[in-house]
Amino acid sequence: MADHAATHAVHDPNIGNTGLDNRKMGMWAFLGSDCMFFGSLIGTYLAYKGKSISGPGPHDVFDIPLTSYSAALLLASSLTMVLALSNLQRHRVNSAARWLLVTALLGAHFVGNQVYEFTTFALHHGLKLSTNLFGSTFFVLTGFHGAHVTGGVIWLLILVGLAWRGQIDARDYTKVEVAGLYWHFVDIVWIAIFTVIYLIP
Amino acid sequence: MADHHAAAATTHGDGGGHATVRTYVNVAIMLAIITAVEVTTLYVPGIPNWLLVLGLLVMSAIKFFLVVGFFMHLRYDHPILRALFVGPLIIAIAIIMAVMALFSAFLLLPRHVL
Repeated sequence: MADHAATHAVHDPNIGNTGLDNRKMGMWAFLGSDCMFFGSLIGTYLAYKGKSISGPGPHDVFDIPLTSYSAALLLASSLTMVLALSNLQRHRVNSAARWLLVTALLGAHFVGNQVYEFTTFALHHGLKLSTNLFGSTFFVLTGFHGAHVTGGVIWLLILVGLAWRGQIDARDYTKVEVAGLYWHFVDIVWIAIFTVIYLIP
Repeated sequence: MADHHAAAATTHGDGGGHATVRTYVNVAIMLAIITAVEVTTLYVPGIPNWLLVLGLLVMSAIKFFLVVGFFMHLRYDHPILRALFVGPLIIAIAIIMAVMALFSAFLLLPRHVL
């Protein structure tokens, strides 16, 4: 068994000296760096919280029910992502592709809600990136998160397309798992943003 | 065959064991319940501000670690992968606290107390 694994490791270019898959390790390293990136943005938002000299402020514009719905969408998409992986692991490629598609659609719905939210802030409340400190820190933080989600949706749709064309099977588990890690990361960032930015008074 | 073996090994992580679909669904239900409680607490009158903030932060942290531990499999994965994520996460939290301290912005206590 150990010999078999060792032989496999020699032939698999993706397995590094640690015995771990390089793609997975690279993704975890990237997510670690992204943690610090979002940590800086959240820290900046909190540092300037309540220091805008002109309105509108957070409680003039936030729509908590809509944002809670968006949070539920991302949490649900994390479940569908692991269901996709679970199906792929059991060689059910079509089911995996369907769950990946559902995940991408939930993510797209989230992005749509964010576009609606940003548009409402700008058109109905006059809050833009340059309006005040709140506008600058809020749009930069949530905008970067939205960009991450959009990137994730595109990645998932590419995987769905590859699966439907028969170019992904259970042997490509790590490719999908790495996309899943990225997807769950955007979910945990939203967990932090939702609480710190939207819920905390 | 070898590739399938590799796929399964990666799935299970290097720490042994893996979550089942039932576990995933249970985690998702817990996440939904915690989120519902989080939002509901906003509309409950009379909760002291410090308790509300502390409660929301604790619930958020529980959700965070449920997703990282179970959905991202970090609970079952190799310690190197855990270190790659937890190390920068600690730095990120330190950055947030340092920036807030520098700007005298505190969540739990009103500014006039400090």
